[in-house]
Amino acid sequence: MWSYVARRLLYSIPVYLGIILIMMGALRLRDPVSAYLGKNATAETALLKKASMGLDRPFLPIGIEDPAEPFGIEPIVEVGRVGFYPPLRTQYVEFLWRILRFDFGTAERPYRSWQFESDNVGAKLADAVWPTLKITIPALVLTATIAILVGLLSAAYRGSVLDKTLMVLVVLGMSISVVVFIVLGQVFGSSWLNGKLGFELFASNGYEPGIQNWVKYCALPVIIGVVVGMGYDARFYRAVMVEETSRDYITTAVAKGAPRHKIIFVHMLKNAMIPVITRIMITIPFLITGSIVMEYQFRIPGMGKLLIDAIVNKDFPIIQTFTAVLAGLFILTNILTDVLYALVDPRVRLA
Amino acid sequence: MMRRPRSSTTCSLLAGAVGLLVAMLALSPVAAQSTGEKFARLPIRSDGPKSLDPAKGSTSYDNQVVCQIYETLLQYKYLVRPDSVTSYEDVSEPLLLAEMPKVSDEADGKQVWKFKLRDDVFFHDDACFPGGKGRKLATDDVFYSWKRLADPKYEYENYWLLQDTILGLDEFKEKFATRQPSKSEPNPPPPPPFDYAAPVEGFRKLSDTEFEVILKKSVVRFGWVISMFQTSIVAREAVEKYGDTLGKHPVGTGPFILKNESDWKPGQNMILHRNPNYRTELYPSEATPKEKEQGLLASAGQKLPLLDRIELTFYTPDPVMWQDFQDRKIALVQVPAEYFEKAFVKRTKRLTKEYSDNGIQAEAVPLLDFIFRGFNMEDPILGGYDEKRTKIRQAISLAVDLDEHNDTFYNGINVVYDGPIPPPLDGFPKNGKAPNSFRGPNLRKARELLAEAGYPEGRGLPEIEYYTSKGSNQAEQTQAEIRQLARIGIRLNPKMVDFSELIEAINQKKAQMFGFAWGSDYPDPENNLALFYSRNKAPGANHYNYDRPEFDKLYEQIIVMKPGPERTSIIEQMRDMVIADVPFVGSMARTRFYLAHPFLKNFKPSEDFYNWFKYLDVDASAPR
Repeated sequence: MWSYVARRLLYSIPVYLGIILIMMGALRLRDPVSAYLGKNATAETALLKKASMGLDRPFLPIGIEDPAEPFGIEPIVEVGRVGFYPPLRTQYVEFLWRILRFDFGTAERPYRSWQFESDNVGAKLADAVWPTLKITIPALVLTATIAILVGLLSAAYRGSVLDKTLMVLVVLGMSISVVVFIVLGQVFGSSWLNGKLGFELFASNGYEPGIQNWVKYCALPVIIGVVVGMGYDARFYRAVMVEETSRDYITTAVAKGAPRHKIIFVHMLKNAMIPVITRIMITIPFLITGSIVMEYQFRIPGMGKLLIDAIVNKDFPIIQTFTAVLAGLFILTNILTDVLYALVDPRVRLA
Repeated sequence: MMRRPRSSTTCSLLAGAVGLLVAMLALSPVAAQSTGEKFARLPIRSDGPKSLDPAKGSTSYDNQVVCQIYETLLQYKYLVRPDSVTSYEDVSEPLLLAEMPKVSDEADGKQVWKFKLRDDVFFHDDACFPGGKGRKLATDDVFYSWKRLADPKYEYENYWLLQDTILGLDEFKEKFATRQPSKSEPNPPPPPPFDYAAPVEGFRKLSDTEFEVILKKSVVRFGWVISMFQTSIVAREAVEKYGDTLGKHPVGTGPFILKNESDWKPGQNMILHRNPNYRTELYPSEATPKEKEQGLLASAGQKLPLLDRIELTFYTPDPVMWQDFQDRKIALVQVPAEYFEKAFVKRTKRLTKEYSDNGIQAEAVPLLDFIFRGFNMEDPILGGYDEKRTKIRQAISLAVDLDEHNDTFYNGINVVYDGPIPPPLDGFPKNGKAPNSFRGPNLRKARELLAEAGYPEGRGLPEIEYYTSKGSNQAEQTQAEIRQLARIGIRLNPKMVDFSELIEAINQKKAQMFGFAWGSDYPDPENNLALFYSRNKAPGANHYNYDRPEFDKLYEQIIVMKPGPERTSIIEQMRDMVIADVPFVGSMARTRFYLAHPFLKNFKPSEDFYNWFKYLDVDASAPR
């Protein structure tokens, strides 16, 4: 298995390099500095800002025609009009080197956010991870557990009133915009309820660290996340389970007189684990990135809000780093998913 | 081995989960501990400041916080809100100064500003000072703070405020600036390290509390600039100790302090505490009649700040802020457009019965806005100063109905006016209407002008590319413009783009016509008229690429002229010149409405300055 993991990691390197190349290129299609500085920036300020991020250097160590224009740095070797630049000084290689060392700024080697110039990008990301995880992990666990349960029950009692009722409820949850749930949550789940209770059980917005504040600031977003997310999962799991109910091993189990709950919760669930795991695993990167809408509306300083604020404020270093980290997480999650397949289903070989 | 029954395990798990929840609830600070301090929770309608370093600040959100902690030489008078403003002296008063600066003109055209600092101003106590005790403010701090704006480390973000103003400062800046490579000099030598000790000819120290600043020439703007938060005075010790992190660790002289870095959660909230060593600074006793009638002098003579603590909450989604105001969690609120009709009767602009019965206070704050639709004066079809093209622009201006825009998209609360100078600035036309107005709708006249330009009913005139940024209700506003111009046969091709793309199109002179807005940096018409000065053409702030030598000449006169009737007359002449040439269709200025709960006292918001939090008080006995 380890050789498989090593091989997959190795194969992923060119994929990741390609992703970073495309992402960095895309972010440079429009001048990020003029977008950030806005309408009144002087040319001098723009040049200094470019220099601070290395944007005045070549993007790639190839194809530079004139060292003085437009990049204005001295080439090490000059052959005709083609300059050769030390790769580490080019934007692409320098950023890859940064990713490799996971160096997104230290006190000695700052890598600052553009909007929060006193903060390193790494520190901003690290600060934002925990609030996000405090929402996403409970939401994922609850959603997955309830959705699997609903899927199993609906599949086992397919066509019954129970099946129809459960499906109507979960579809209702996913059919209404999350913003509506958020507004309803803030008005009734917070303002109205707190008024009735006489104390603030759920805050309508905001965030305070510490586990003691979890109920106040995180419970409402988690509940809404579960209500909204469950529909998609439950319908998917139901479809998977329904397919399983027509398998031979289920017929055999029924013929052998296995109890119904054992058929559902042991045989069926175990054999349906691959799609279940796939479904859960693809959500793992989003545990880190968080929900933009939820964090924005509840003013939770998580990764989703960090990203949307960075986009709104054209905070180039944050956007670039965030995207690179997210891409890496996706690749790692894919590899982890394949490994888990083999663990839950011996038929899958890691060849 | 005995197995525990499964139901028992489930029960244990359930009991555990419930127990955990109860424990968390018990620990949850459902009822905030009362500290006995007088405090108010105030909203900031954005994700808050990005840096608390005045040299790095640029937005009004930075301003809203920085000016609570740092101070400038002058400040705006809180309760003096005149109907028209001619000079900085009309609305400014000393803050760090003992008296207003004495200004004298030299024979060689230079101007000398003599300042005297207050003798009782101390920096906040901080570890950057020996023994942690804030030291007294001195002349050198002023020079140091202003030199910082010329330090390339701060990317000259705010140097424009002092550019071409103080004798020798531009040369000082250039001495330490990185020279850009060019064909003739591909490898310029690196600049010397920035040296704050290097002299600036225009900074003349007389004593620790007295100094003179020599201006190259009379610069009217300077009187306003020394009230702007970017020119606040910082302590050298703090800059040297905290370096890049000064933006999170402010050390000023102001009425409030950021006690700990953890009191600021970026994007969330910030708690500012009263500066315990704040000098004796009193609530004003001078007010204009309206403010007197409102009873805003009740606290006159009381020591500032009146609150022990202010808790600032940063709101990006408006509904959340609005709900928090309804729940009395915040003391005041800026009324978002979509909630205007919840609080006000649209026709009368008065509070609804429900709000007034609840004692809610309302204030209308006019903004120094210049909202317009600009033309690229270098465009071959719409640009130029000849009769034909001028008439096309005049026709467009006459076809646009700004009153309809105001009613439809702004609840009718904007001020619609002619020219580029918003109220209450010098040069604002009486009742907003200039003598040579081309404000629409006047379709008959518009059609006539268009026909005279050779395009009867718009026939033969190509489609006009109209760039405007996405967001808010821009798409709807653009549709209204398309419809309005179609009435005279002019076709608009809208380009809804991101703001950065809009800027790029304007800077590259690609946008024939564009929607844009300008907020005055300071209340002097010179700031708005600079938008038409030819030396500021794109990519500068003259987005229209307006280029009229006679206008430039007048502009150069007013920037050095003392405020007075003569200057006003020239400003009006410049305004009318621009109105006749129609480099833009306009204009509008927004009015922002604020509401406050009855427990908030001395409520008189402004967006020209933000250091008014120190005047706020709360009625501790009123229900919160």
